[in-house]
Amino acid sequence: MSIAALALLVLGLAALGFVLGRQRAVASVKGDRRALHSLPGYYGWYVALFTATPAYLLMVAWLILQPMLIAYQVTGMILPEDIADGSSRDLVMTDVRRISEGMDSFAASGMTEAEIVTLSEDPAALKTALEGVGVALGSDINPHVAAAAVTYRQDVALGRLWMSVVALALAVGGLVLSSRRVGPELRSRNSVERYVQVLLVSASMIAILTTAGIVFSLVFESVHFFQLYPAKDFFLSLTWTPKFGGGSDLGIWPLLWGTLYVSFIALLVAVPIGLMSAIYLSEYAGPKLRGMAKPALEVLAGIPSIVYGLFALLTVGPFLRDYFAQPLGLGDSSSSVMTAGIVMGVMLIPYVSSLSDDIINAVPQALRDGSYALGATQSETVRQVVLPAALPGIVGAVLMAASRAIGETMIVVLGAGAAAKLDLNPFEAMTTVTVKIVSQLTGDTEFASPETLVAFALGLTLFVFTLCLNIIALFIVRKYREQYE
Amino acid sequence: MNDMRLTERTVTEGVKISAQGVQVHYGTNHALKDVDVAILDKTVTAFIGPSGCGKSTFLRCLNRMNDTVASAKVTGMIMLDGQDIYDARVDPVQLRAKVGMVFQKPNPFPKSIYDNVAYGPKIHGLASGKAELDQVVETSLKKAALWNEVKDRLEAPGTGLSGGQQQRLCIARAIATSPEVLLMDEPCSALDPIATAQVEELIDELRSQFSVVIVTHSMQQAARVSQRTAFFHLGHLVEYGETGTIFTNPKDPRTESYITGRIG
Repeated sequence: MSIAALALLVLGLAALGFVLGRQRAVASVKGDRRALHSLPGYYGWYVALFTATPAYLLMVAWLILQPMLIAYQVTGMILPEDIADGSSRDLVMTDVRRISEGMDSFAASGMTEAEIVTLSEDPAALKTALEGVGVALGSDINPHVAAAAVTYRQDVALGRLWMSVVALALAVGGLVLSSRRVGPELRSRNSVERYVQVLLVSASMIAILTTAGIVFSLVFESVHFFQLYPAKDFFLSLTWTPKFGGGSDLGIWPLLWGTLYVSFIALLVAVPIGLMSAIYLSEYAGPKLRGMAKPALEVLAGIPSIVYGLFALLTVGPFLRDYFAQPLGLGDSSSSVMTAGIVMGVMLIPYVSSLSDDIINAVPQALRDGSYALGATQSETVRQVVLPAALPGIVGAVLMAASRAIGETMIVVLGAGAAAKLDLNPFEAMTTVTVKIVSQLTGDTEFASPETLVAFALGLTLFVFTLCLNIIALFIVRKYREQYE
Repeated sequence: MNDMRLTERTVTEGVKISAQGVQVHYGTNHALKDVDVAILDKTVTAFIGPSGCGKSTFLRCLNRMNDTVASAKVTGMIMLDGQDIYDARVDPVQLRAKVGMVFQKPNPFPKSIYDNVAYGPKIHGLASGKAELDQVVETSLKKAALWNEVKDRLEAPGTGLSGGQQQRLCIARAIATSPEVLLMDEPCSALDPIATAQVEELIDELRSQFSVVIVTHSMQQAARVSQRTAFFHLGHLVEYGETGTIFTNPKDPRTESYITGRIG
């Protein structure tokens, strides 16, 4: 039975359980619904949930565990001498899976299981037959591999069968047991409530576990990298010259410097402009203008960053070069930290202004009234009362913008170039951590050399960096909260 | 209910604020209809009336706080010491320095106690140095009967005080700009009875220096603290006069109904 059909069947049983539970509840009090602890619908949900949940949980667990167990068993059938030079056990296992998929196609086209087993004993005929159904293999088929494929296929089919049987048994068992318990005394409403709670908890756990998974994989690959390349050189070297032949210098500082420099200029542009426009929108603009200007600003936030990158490449870069860098004698490259920083700053303006605007609006009107009633003007009120009250939120908005600036890639590729350099001149081309992560991983590479694995160490550094930034943000926000609330 | 205090209610001061034909519209809502009143100097004037009767609206006309409400339109004439406060030559910011206001809910700024009180004097340049500013802050806090409670923690946030202390801080803040009139919009409605008693005592003391106008829902409070009472009903000023007279011998049947609890 296919997984989709099984899932539908369980769902059908759950629907049946809903109807049954509801009916039994109403029947148990002879139609007098007031005698029930919960509304009849809750009894329906109670039975439906106890029917579907255990079966679905089992299916998920089975689908995760079965491939691992089968792979473990089948791998044992392949002897070390079956693995050709330049190949690996993983590649052979891929062949096993592809051959078994080919056998599925044979079965679909009317071949009996016995015929498939006979065919698998003749490698040359098997190879030809596989090519007939679109499975092309590079080399001749090793008899052990063919046998492994047959076993693999049988194990998968057997596992699927048992999973269907057990899942259906669980569903039916849940249906029978839970509908037996239905009665006026059963607190089905509370049980359903607990289900909702568990659902919400697991939803939030998914985000947390995913983050943990990302960190784990980054750490794992970074450890791998540091085994191949000394950590001291990575963190202390001031040069970045990756050579895929070996003997590269992989110091993080030129990249980190580029990241910080570009982000700094971006925030220098975005924070004052964004904050001032937020103050205008929330304190001075009339409701009509605000109603138009705020969505318009937010549209800016929806422009893909690659479009900003094109703007940097074609307009801002040449403009800065022709009117500032060349006349001032500071360089003649149109890709520069300044170009990327200014364009990224423009991209961040709507983030800063939109978030700050919401925060400033949340400052109670009573504080403004208090200030006006003392004879303060509007700008005095904004500077001395509204902004201090909104400060924690504004700091949060700025740090969020900073995290975005640090993680931004496309604008830097097109605006600042790809040269890893430690320089103070803002009209020099530089590059950032994110750009180098992309360039180290692009192309046909295997994750075995330090030149590719460095990407994970860079990613981990960036992650730790933004994490620290967020912790500082939380700390600042909390400190000011204590003072203001 | 307060005959025994009638003898104390002699008021000899002149008129501080006089209003003639004041009308207020909020959009299409006619909130205040043709109000004439003369508020005396160094006197506590109470505005009473049921909710939505226009008493707070009228109070907010006296320091032009209605200017901050876009839909509000005020017509008629309000004179402060003979000067029309809605005249184009009058800067509302300057006016509000002269006519202070205390709100229903305590609204201390998110600053230290010291900075809360020093806010007005700093803005208006009332103190020429740090020492003088310290003096202004101390005097204001003393007048607001808060000094003894906060003198050791002037740098603590004003928002950390209790509700009654916060309201007295707001009164100190309003006093610090040395206003001539102090407007109070239900200053005790968010306070417990003890804090209310403290604030009422304070209002009575403030009478020696300012003209105080207080909006209140509590008739007992009006009777306790005021010398003049104005009764508002549905946007009209129904009756205005000596507090004892209003409470013991009202002329208008609506006033009588309200103070005896039949309407409102």
